[in-house]
Amino acid sequence: MYKFPIFKSIKLFLISFSFVYRANFLALLMGVLFGFLMSHAGATTYDYHAKMFLLIDMQLMEVIGSAVVVAMLGVWLLKKFHVRAVTTGEEVDFVKKPYQKGLIAGALLFGIGWAMTASCPGTVPAMIGEGKMGALFVLAGLLLGTMAYGVLQTFVSNNGRLRDTLKDGCD
Amino acid sequence: MEVVVWAGWLGGIAIGFFVILHFWLMGKPAGCSTGYGNVCGLICKKMQYYQQGEYSNLNNTKLWFLIGIPLGGLLSALGAPGEWHMSFDMGMYEAILPQSDAAKALWLTFGGMLLGFGARLAGACTTGHALVGGAMMNPPSLLAGAVFFISAMVTTQLLFNF
Repeated sequence: MYKFPIFKSIKLFLISFSFVYRANFLALLMGVLFGFLMSHAGATTYDYHAKMFLLIDMQLMEVIGSAVVVAMLGVWLLKKFHVRAVTTGEEVDFVKKPYQKGLIAGALLFGIGWAMTASCPGTVPAMIGEGKMGALFVLAGLLLGTMAYGVLQTFVSNNGRLRDTLKDGCD
Repeated sequence: MEVVVWAGWLGGIAIGFFVILHFWLMGKPAGCSTGYGNVCGLICKKMQYYQQGEYSNLNNTKLWFLIGIPLGGLLSALGAPGEWHMSFDMGMYEAILPQSDAAKALWLTFGGMLLGFGARLAGACTTGHALVGGAMMNPPSLLAGAVFFISAMVTTQLLFNF
């Protein structure tokens, strides 16, 4: 078997490695940035959630309001100039979440959870990074709730046969 | 240890730029709660729902995005005055949460379950619906975002005032 010289093979390995894992690596960096910004915006501080919903301090409302305005302008520009995404090389896909059955019921449950824990799925990991230990329990609950939805959907797609769901479910 | 909190408009503009940067780099909307589905799929190999469709490849960008978030929180906390330490204080919520530690843990776990189940039932969380969906002016997302806020506001008012 023909072998490349050592330096060339290292170089080829690095190039192929970066092509395969580039998207995941960038996603990791974006996650770090997201957690950092959420923390600095006050979304990981319990009191800001209570103060917003009790109409005492509108910090988080200000954050989400200005974020949506800036992002809206950005989306408009990206669309206008048909900008290509870095990782996919294709035009940015502005895929929109469709209306789905149970959206309102789900949103109501989500809101109750938000009020009970003063956190949302995006801020919980950042809170753990900050050392807020209560968030560990919320994380456990989040995984359980997500799991419950998966079990329910698997149950439904098995035409409601409990035996099949349990057989193919979690072991 | 208190993290440094920027002025609301500054944090908001930074997050707005984050959303744009995410679109440009990844080519798709940012989202958090879908990543939890990936984790569930990795834990339960036999659960059909988290092995198919958008979950057919579990080692994807959604998962790595989620892994990055705690590092960002850690960075922010390390930049704050004082040393990093674990904290159990929940601020204003101490007054309304159950007093025993076990009951508090159960309360938070139950709240987390509502968040996780509700996010999947609604299709996305605050990030996916209110922030990114709002930026794209997507009607179902605007509806979901409004219901998130109204429901959380009513519940908070009930918890603190009654």
